[in-house]
Amino acid sequence: MRGTLIYIGQRLVLIVFTVLVVSFGVFFIVHLLPGNAFVSDRVHGQALQILLHEYGLDQPIPVQYWNWLTGIVLHGSLGVSLYIRGLPITPLVLRELSVSAMLGGAALIITIGLGVTFGVLAAVRQNSWVDYLLTTIAVIGYSVPSFVIASLGILIFGQWLNNLTNGVIYYPEPWTGTYGTLAELSVPAIALGFYTSGQITRITRAAMLDVIQQDYIRTARAKGLVDRVVVLRHALRNALVPVTSILGPTVISIIVGSVVIENIFGIPGLGKEFVESIFQHDYNVTVGVFTIYAVLIGVANLGVDLIYTVIDPRIRY
Amino acid sequence: MPGETLGLVGESGCGKSVTALSILGLVQRPGRIVGGKILFKGEDLVRMPVDELRDIRGRDIAMIFQDPLSSLNPVLKVGFQIDEAMQAHDKIPKDQIERRGVDLLKEVRVPDAARRANDYPHQFSGGMRQRAMIAMGLSNRPEILIADEPTTALDVTVQAQILELLRDLNEATGTSIMLITHNLGVVAGLCKRVIVMYAGEIVEQGPVEQIFESPQHPYTWSLLRSIPRIDADRRERLRSIEGLPPDLIQLPPGCKFSPRCPYRIERCFRDDPQLKEVAPSQEAACWVTMKRAYAEMGAATITDTRPGAASGVRPPKGVAAKVVDARTIDAAEGPVR
Repeated sequence: MRGTLIYIGQRLVLIVFTVLVVSFGVFFIVHLLPGNAFVSDRVHGQALQILLHEYGLDQPIPVQYWNWLTGIVLHGSLGVSLYIRGLPITPLVLRELSVSAMLGGAALIITIGLGVTFGVLAAVRQNSWVDYLLTTIAVIGYSVPSFVIASLGILIFGQWLNNLTNGVIYYPEPWTGTYGTLAELSVPAIALGFYTSGQITRITRAAMLDVIQQDYIRTARAKGLVDRVVVLRHALRNALVPVTSILGPTVISIIVGSVVIENIFGIPGLGKEFVESIFQHDYNVTVGVFTIYAVLIGVANLGVDLIYTVIDPRIRY
Repeated sequence: MPGETLGLVGESGCGKSVTALSILGLVQRPGRIVGGKILFKGEDLVRMPVDELRDIRGRDIAMIFQDPLSSLNPVLKVGFQIDEAMQAHDKIPKDQIERRGVDLLKEVRVPDAARRANDYPHQFSGGMRQRAMIAMGLSNRPEILIADEPTTALDVTVQAQILELLRDLNEATGTSIMLITHNLGVVAGLCKRVIVMYAGEIVEQGPVEQIFESPQHPYTWSLLRSIPRIDADRRERLRSIEGLPPDLIQLPPGCKFSPRCPYRIERCFRDDPQLKEVAPSQEAACWVTMKRAYAEMGAATITDTRPGAASGVRPPKGVAAKVVDARTIDAAEGPVR
């Protein structure tokens, strides 16, 4: 137990270090973009210099970064928006984070639930039509890009079936309401989670087929346990170890995919904000969102490593 | 027979384990039972529906396996895995299961049983794991315990402890034990009756002392001769049986042991011998039997045990080339002096 806590501490230090490097890199790159934050205001000369000075943009980039960093550490503030001048962006980004987290969480549940269920069913019914059907769905899952599925989802549920669903699943631009309803959430969540669910199906199926050959499965059968208990309690638990190993990449894939999906559905989340802020030269928002992504990915990977210890008692840190 | 201890011996690949797995219907796909009968209390287990067979597994007939580490689920606590065997059947009252789990571990002499029940298999040593497997097997007080090479993966001192434990449990609980092994020493130490298998068939059976004293099948005789003796001449080479068991997909015609047998006669290549009584309560499937081998072929003094060496009979033309597995051709076609 103590070893685990020390391990978590070490990993957290590593995450902080990674986030520092990533945020500086992004900070540096976005400030190198051609143009400046006030390019759309058509201000020039003296007036521009005054504006730049007001937001500290006339200072060298390392100094600007230092100011940005101290702002986070001392005040918990990601700075102010340069597009809507002077608006503190921390509350804005946090609200968008909660929207994205809901979408991403739903996508994660769908991808794991669907992937593991399909994988187990395909393995248990190996080489039957069930197996072929489910593996075909999995192949389609990771061959079709998420934006295609997203567009189809809008077309089918938002347009063609709009009368049937009574407008429950409908995507006006911009999205009304903060989160949308659960029904509205389901379509983008499936579009987002479908790709990775295909991969999880494949890995679960392969792991199950491997585990079912093991001696301890024979022991479980020799005890007289029913097939359901043998598969779920004895086989699946062991098969989840390799499945867990791709949860890290899965989370990353969902975060990356959310940037595309949120823009297609017009969901007011981090991904949409991220893209807009780049076009608007809203430096602080871009860097802030990117830094949050870095933290999320670091924590997700730590979480995955801790899940290992829950699934497999032989793994200890 | 209730309370009996039966040994099933033979080389690797003779079908010992498959026989045992067939009893409980645990043969892995693509393997399946194509025919025959396995009778348990007058019922044929081969033709029994899976649901009924499942009730027998672990309750009436329990089984323990060769490698206790791979046979225990690595992610579940040892105590839980034992309790689970009892939960699967209604033989033990539910409220007693947990206490009986710990008692069983005590019974198989796992020290500090109450605490160890909460450990995982990887925290157990090899011998302790096999004890836990035995505890699991005995949990429903089965009538038969099938032990498939229970000591092969263990070191020698632990082997002896496990065998002693099995013998004590057999005497204390009256559970019949069917011990599968290639180690005749283990059979001598534990079993009262022995069945010798070759190429998937029984070639000899009978009481242990009798079989060890006067084996009648040349295969049994060769196995016994292969045991290294501590009082043997130091310069003497270890004896083995020339060749390998046949490929079970391409069996030779006639007696399956004929390609390796020093005492074979012409008939052995033609007709498959059936089990018949060779002494009181002892049966062997052989046209020659060792009685005749001693009397006519000088088995007592034989040093050359290559195929056909004692009888001088070579396989008829065509037979060897057609069916004898490539691995055994050397042995079958070797020069006969």
